[in-house]
Amino acid sequence: MKVTKSFLKIFTIIVFLFLYSPIIAMLVFSFNESKSLAVFTNFSLKWYEKVITNPDVWRALYNSFWVGAVVTAASLILGLMMAMAVTRYSFTGKTILESFILIPIIIPEIAESLSLMMMYIFLNMPLGPVTVIIGHIAFDISYATVVMRARMVGYDRSIEEAARTLGANELQTFFRITLPTLYPAILAAGLLAFTLSFDDLIKTLFTTGPGFKTLPLVIWSYAARGGVSPELNSLSSFALSISFLFAVFRLRTERRMGR
Amino acid sequence: MSEVYSVELENIVKRFGNVVAVDHVSLKIKENEFFSLLGPSGCGKTTTLRIIAGLEEPDEGLVKLYGKDVTDVPTHKRNIGMVFQHLALFPHMNVFENIAFGLKMRKLPREEIKREVKKILEIVKLEGLEDRRVNQLSGGQQQRVALARALVINPEVLLLDEPLGALDLKIRQHMMVELKNIQKKVKTTFIYVTHDQTEAMTMSDRIAIMKDGRVQQVDTPLGVYYKPSNMFVASFIGEAVNLIEGEIRENGIVNTSIGTVCCPEQSIIGKVAVMIRPEVVEINEKIHGVDNIFKGVVQAAIFKGSYIEYRVDIGGITFIAHKHGEGSLGKIYQPGATVEIGWKKNSSLIIPIQT
Repeated sequence: MKVTKSFLKIFTIIVFLFLYSPIIAMLVFSFNESKSLAVFTNFSLKWYEKVITNPDVWRALYNSFWVGAVVTAASLILGLMMAMAVTRYSFTGKTILESFILIPIIIPEIAESLSLMMMYIFLNMPLGPVTVIIGHIAFDISYATVVMRARMVGYDRSIEEAARTLGANELQTFFRITLPTLYPAILAAGLLAFTLSFDDLIKTLFTTGPGFKTLPLVIWSYAARGGVSPELNSLSSFALSISFLFAVFRLRTERRMGR
Repeated sequence: MSEVYSVELENIVKRFGNVVAVDHVSLKIKENEFFSLLGPSGCGKTTTLRIIAGLEEPDEGLVKLYGKDVTDVPTHKRNIGMVFQHLALFPHMNVFENIAFGLKMRKLPREEIKREVKKILEIVKLEGLEDRRVNQLSGGQQQRVALARALVINPEVLLLDEPLGALDLKIRQHMMVELKNIQKKVKTTFIYVTHDQTEAMTMSDRIAIMKDGRVQQVDTPLGVYYKPSNMFVASFIGEAVNLIEGEIRENGIVNTSIGTVCCPEQSIIGKVAVMIRPEVVEINEKIHGVDNIFKGVVQAAIFKGSYIEYRVDIGGITFIAHKHGEGSLGKIYQPGATVEIGWKKNSSLIIPIQT
C-alpha cells in the first residue's frame, strides 16, 4: 500500500514537471541578463523593457483585446439564444442542431482555419480584422453554448412564471429574472470565449490580412524570424500571465457556480 | 342582490396531446372564499389553477374574473397572485426585493412600496427580515415570503399550488391555521390546490373534488364527507369507509349480499351503495338499540393512538370500525373473536350508482 502510494506521488510530480518545466524555464530566463538560454547570469528586467517599449507589441495587445471583446459579446448573445432554444423548446431538427453545435469543438483547428480562409477567398472578402472576428465567433459560439447549456438544463422556469403573475411582461421577465439568475453561467462562458479568442494563433494566422496582428501572431512572427531569444521569452511570459489571469478568474466563478 | 363571483370557469377543456387534462370544468368561486381543488395527482387540478392564472391557455371555455372575460388576457395583466409549489422565490434578490417586485412592476413610488412591504411583512410575521437572502431562511419563512410576495400586490384572487408540500408535518399543521387566519385578514379569494384532504378540509369553505379532469363534487368539507355524490368521493374522502353495494326495492331498505340494511327513507329506487363511516360503527359482544346489527369475526385490531381500528369479517365483506374513548382500551377483541357490529339507520348514507 505504502509503496504504491509514494509511487503515485512521485509519478504525479514527474507528470507535472514534464508539463510545467518548459513554462517555468521560459519564465526564469525571461529575467536573465545575458542572451544565453542555458546559463542564468544576473537578474534583469531589460528584456521586458524591450518588449514594453516596442510599439508593435502594444498595437497587437490592443488588437487582441478589442477582437476578444467583440468576439465574446457576439458569442455570448448567439450562444445564449442557442442554449435557450435547445433547453426550452422542442422543435424538429433539434437533435441535429445540438450535434452541429459540437462540431467546431471536435474538428481540427487547422482544417477549420483552412476552410474559413477558402470561404473568404470564394466570397471575395478582404482579409483583416472583420474576417478574424467572424472566424473566432464561429468557433467560440460552440464553447459558449455548451457552457451555458450545461447550466440551463434543469433551470426552474417557475421563477419566470412567478414574475409573470406579479405583473412583469416577457421582456421585463427576461432582463430582471432570467438574465440575472443565469449570470454565473454567462460570466463563465464569457471568460472562456475571451481566453480562447485571446490565445488563438492558427485561425488568426489564416484569416488575417496584411498589417493586422494579434499578440500571439507577433510572438509567432518573432519566433519564426529569429528563433528563441530572451525578448521572446519575456513577451510570451507577458501573454501567458494575461491568459493565466483570465483562467484563474474563470475557475473561481465556475467553483462559485458549483456551490 | 346576486352573488359576486371572483372566478368563474365555464366549460374549460385542456388537452395535452391525446390526454384530456381538464374535461369540461365549470366552477363558480365566490368572493372572499377559501376554495380548494382536491384530487389525486394527475386529476387536472394544477392545470385548472394554471388556466386561471393564464399560464396555460384553455382549448375551450371561458375564464372570468369578477365577471370580466379574461380568457385572452395575458398573465401579467390579470392581477392575480400565485404561490408556487416550489415557491419560486427569486434567488438573486433579498426578502424585501422579492416582495417588492410586483409593486415595482406596477411602478409605485418608492415610499409606498416600503410601506406596503412593511405592512405585509407584519401580516405574515416576518418583520425585520427584509435584508435576508432567501436561501438564509427556513422552509416556513420562505413559505411566508412567497405568500407575502403574492399578496402585497392586492390581487383579485390568490392561487396556491400545493404550497405546503415541502414542509414537514408540524410546520405544515401550523401553516394551515396561519393561512386561514391570513385569508380572513386580507379578505381575498384563495384558490388552493392540494392532494392532501386534511389541508383541504382544515382550511376550505368549499372543496371541488376532481378526478380524471372532471369535477366530481363541489361542497363544504362537511358536505363532501357526509354527503358524497358518488363512489369516488366516498372512498377518496376520509381515512377509511365501508361501502356495500345493493339495491333498494322498497323505501328505507337496501338488499345487500350481507342481508338487508336499514337506511333513511328517500325516493331513490334501484342500484345504490351504502356508505357507513367507521366512527359510527359500534362494536361489542352484544348490541342493542340500533337498526342495523350484524354478527362477524374480528380479523385484526390495530391500535392507532386515540382509537382502535377493527377489521371485522361479515359474510365475506371486511368492515372497518373505529372504537374511540377510554372504553377502547378496556377490552380489545383479538382476531378470531366473534362480535357484533351495528349502526343507526340514519348513519347509512345512500349513494346512487349510475348505470
